[in-house]
Amino acid sequence: MALRRLASGPLALAGAAVTLVAVVVALAAPVLAPHNPLKQNLGSTLASPSRTHLLGTDNVGRDVLSRVIWGTRISLVAGFVSIAIAALAGTLIGLFAGYRGGRVDGLAMRLMDAVLSFPPLVLALALGAVLGADLTGVLIALGVVYTPTFARLMRGQVLTIRGREYIEAARALGASGGAIAWRHVLPNAATPIVVQASLSVAFAILAEASLSFLGLGVQPPDASWGSMINAGRGYLRQAPWVVFGPGAALFVTVLGLNFLGDAVRDALDPKLRV
Amino acid sequence: MGRFILGRMVAVIPVLLLVTAGIFFLIHLTPGDPIDAMMAESVDAGVKAELSRQLGLDQPIHVQYLRWMGRLLRGDLGRSIRNGQPVVEDVARRLRPSLELALLAMLIALLVAFPLGMLSAARRNTAADGASTAFALLGICMPNFLVALLLIFLFGVTLRWLPVSGYTDPLEDPVNGLRSLTLPAITLGLALAAVLTRTLRSSLIEALSEDYVRTARAKGLSERVILGRHALKNGLIPVATVMGLQLGGLIGGAVITEYVFALPGVGRLVVDAVFARDYPLVQGVVLLIAVGFILSSLAVDLVYAWLDPRIRYR
Amino acid sequence: MSVGGVGKPSGLGLGVPGTSRRSFLRWCAAASGALTPVVAGGLRGSPEALAQTAPKRGGTLRVAFYIEAATMDPHLSGSKIDRQVYHNLYDPLLVLDVRLGLQPGLAESWTQPDPKTLVFKLQRGVKFHDGTDFNAEVAKFNFNRMKTDPKSVRKGETANIESVDVVDSHTIRLNLRRPDASLLAALTDRAGMMVSPKVVQERGPDLERNARGAGTGPFEFVEWVKDDHILLKRNDNYWNKQAGPYLDQIRYRPIPDDTVKLASLQSGEIEVMDYVQPRDVAAVKADKKVAVVDVPSLASFGYQLNHAKAPFNNKALRQAMVYALDIEQVVKGVWLAVGVPSNGPIPPSSWAYDSSIPAVRRDLAKVKAKLAEGGQPNGFTFSVTINNIPINVQEAEVIQAQLAEAGITMKIKLVDSAALLSDGNNKNFEMISYQWSGRPDPDGNTFQFFKTAQGISLNWSGISNPRIDALLDRSREVSDRAERKKIFSELTRLLHEELPMVFIVHPIEPKAFSPRVQGYEPIPDGMMRFKSVWLK
Repeated sequence: MALRRLASGPLALAGAAVTLVAVVVALAAPVLAPHNPLKQNLGSTLASPSRTHLLGTDNVGRDVLSRVIWGTRISLVAGFVSIAIAALAGTLIGLFAGYRGGRVDGLAMRLMDAVLSFPPLVLALALGAVLGADLTGVLIALGVVYTPTFARLMRGQVLTIRGREYIEAARALGASGGAIAWRHVLPNAATPIVVQASLSVAFAILAEASLSFLGLGVQPPDASWGSMINAGRGYLRQAPWVVFGPGAALFVTVLGLNFLGDAVRDALDPKLRV
Repeated sequence: MGRFILGRMVAVIPVLLLVTAGIFFLIHLTPGDPIDAMMAESVDAGVKAELSRQLGLDQPIHVQYLRWMGRLLRGDLGRSIRNGQPVVEDVARRLRPSLELALLAMLIALLVAFPLGMLSAARRNTAADGASTAFALLGICMPNFLVALLLIFLFGVTLRWLPVSGYTDPLEDPVNGLRSLTLPAITLGLALAAVLTRTLRSSLIEALSEDYVRTARAKGLSERVILGRHALKNGLIPVATVMGLQLGGLIGGAVITEYVFALPGVGRLVVDAVFARDYPLVQGVVLLIAVGFILSSLAVDLVYAWLDPRIRYR
Repeated sequence: MSVGGVGKPSGLGLGVPGTSRRSFLRWCAAASGALTPVVAGGLRGSPEALAQTAPKRGGTLRVAFYIEAATMDPHLSGSKIDRQVYHNLYDPLLVLDVRLGLQPGLAESWTQPDPKTLVFKLQRGVKFHDGTDFNAEVAKFNFNRMKTDPKSVRKGETANIESVDVVDSHTIRLNLRRPDASLLAALTDRAGMMVSPKVVQERGPDLERNARGAGTGPFEFVEWVKDDHILLKRNDNYWNKQAGPYLDQIRYRPIPDDTVKLASLQSGEIEVMDYVQPRDVAAVKADKKVAVVDVPSLASFGYQLNHAKAPFNNKALRQAMVYALDIEQVVKGVWLAVGVPSNGPIPPSSWAYDSSIPAVRRDLAKVKAKLAEGGQPNGFTFSVTINNIPINVQEAEVIQAQLAEAGITMKIKLVDSAALLSDGNNKNFEMISYQWSGRPDPDGNTFQFFKTAQGISLNWSGISNPRIDALLDRSREVSDRAERKKIFSELTRLLHEELPMVFIVHPIEPKAFSPRVQGYEPIPDGMMRFKSVWLK
């Protein structure tokens, strides 16, 4: 029934469609890209869009469209993987903290507060520099930055659910803590986690773009949309397609993910049933 | 109430301890060395050794940490490696531009978020909702350095309405000061507007589904009155919460905006310090930003507790 | 001698220089005889700009650099941008002219009675901005400070000065440890700059932030608001009032983003910009609202190769890699000809430049041969460490593609500047980007990079070659330019053999101005001296 509600509304559909397209493009990049994204052509740099190069070429003559298509992989990976890390870590921490309570809870939540009060860009910058400035480092750094949100969410859910009757019943029947956590708490707590995750992916993709501005992230000659926009920003006036190609892709995808996230929340959140 | 406040403040201490340890070890682990960074062109082993000694950088890392903590507890945040200035002074001087920028950005965000949020909530799931949501989301669907550059080219270079970069103090020269802050505030404000619009939209939707609203509708009150008078009052609380939290985050978080517009704010200070591996400055500023953030979320919690007695006595 | 004007009121009929480096240098040589300050209009050749107007006093010149200065103390300064401010605030003993010749500065004249002695006669009537007199005692104080202050970064440049004697009130004698032909050129920059002893003694470390009263230069320090601006004002008691100073004030501002910096110039918020990126040069030259001057710099950009680590501890593999490069293509495609392909560490603007030595040309056959000789017939893999500046990334990507064609795989490792410097100093790299801003004497572009060095030094490659060491030492002992030039030529050929560095480009530094700026004299060291500048 939630799925049906999900499909209602044009925004939800648009969001889902965009996300689907993005995933397909990412998977089918080798087939879809008209040119080799790494092939340079120094004789024809910053060429304006034409029939052979629909989005023109960049500052070393590479086809912008092909790079945008291949960049879908990296941008989506940046978004999904970092949020997956954050959701996983956050869920485990929140579950553990909420369930154990007491000192463990206190310590875990203080740790999360500490991470939250760090200026996020600085945290990502420093972590990235320590872990290595490449994509893996950025994924972990973003994962760390987003973990507290999920941890808090999960913990809140655990606390709420813990007091519910069916938990008491399960315990009375002799179920172990772990089993209760797995069978009862987790499925019920999953909803807000999923909602939050779907909203955060868009932010993570943008954050990766910001980090590339500061020099972290995917190493050349590979490119994400963010690093393409960053590398192209000096050519904004003479060759705007270098920026607007990946920029449009980024914009549409992030917008679509936002719509999708809203729709997921509207569908799953019982309070919003009108 | 008093016990609540006290309890919350005590809880802050371990958080700050974690933050200090975190930033200290993190920045010391980043490859690169402040003295190398300072002496880019004139490497001299003797001078490096001397400076290392003077700055205490030749000590083992745990010793350096304890020394820093010791000074911290005495209220001394140390001195910047690059210019020898006390960290507190550096931050104090940079705070005002960041604060002014944050407040102006908030104002712009509110001006955008209110009409759009209300429109979205009133016409939920229609084209108007989609359009205004899309417009509001403009701010967070583009990397903000791109937004900044577009604004610069349009308003600064082509139209020449506003200055492209640099900071003029609004307290000394209000007109030019505000002009110098306008483009950066729009850049930041658009992103903030997106968050606020969504928050306002969802809280208004929630408020609109409450029973008392149904009653009001049944009584025949116009939709506009319901929205404006009843729903808005209650819908504002989450918005105020978000604003409070965002303000705390904006001060240290407007890094890219400050960099692009060459504003002497706190965000740029801390990023420049990270790039220069200016350990005391990074540590001090991050700590102060963390304190600021914690205080603002504490303030928000207090307002909540004051508004909702149930929280106080839990 | 300003750009774009004629020599005397009667008009020498000199054409306005085109923007090619060669014609610019030729013109500079021709114009260097003129004495009258001249209008700098028509930097791109408009006939009406050859009209004469007298310089007028007044105005604030707003200058933007990409980063903030680090310190106001020239003896403790290790960063390039500081020098830009110093050349207006302080005076060095000697001064460079447009042909990199040495002219009197605070030293009115000098003699070398024997190879290990330099005697300087100092200018009379010079006062620091705080009123202290400049004399021989002051000069001696400054040299001692450079040699002995624990934080002094000038120790390397003054290492050869054994002692300084005060001969009389305005004469000093420098006693050298060894003959050093490069020392005079070093005295045209920070190592020759004089600071007021009273300020040093009274203010101590605060001098780094507050240089009020500290210099003798055409402009005085007013204030430094960190990361916002540095303000200088005209020194009305400057000892050399010929041709300036005219400006009321100079205001330096850091604008980190290049695009924003250029936009600020085009929107009239600043009048001077220190460097136009190659990608913007064409557009800026076409913009009538902005004037551009191409300054052939002393810089040498390239990469250092680590001789202590695989794969570049193997000479044949070093050579293989270099033959796989197409440097012409890099300079044309990445640097957009805002620079010339490099044939060694010495730039074309230097008297020691040997145009008979060619830049390395691509030769894929030689690559194969060298790969086989080096024991890696199927190519090899290595990583290059570069910092995150867009043009450096672009250059690395192009080189990566060029090497791939020859079967060599290069991985790119992006780090920030601090990490780059540390990696270099600690020799933690295989190939690393190196961009040297250059020094007027060829010694400054060679000695510290290629001489055997223990511990931390700028010799990042770790090269230790007795023939190179001998040549470098000899280049300092000999004072005749023609002979020194031969030595540097031999050195360059040897460097092409041994390859501690891969030389890519000698960049040109285009500087951009508002058309109101008149009287700018570009000196190839890239430093912007504003004494002769005035605003229309």
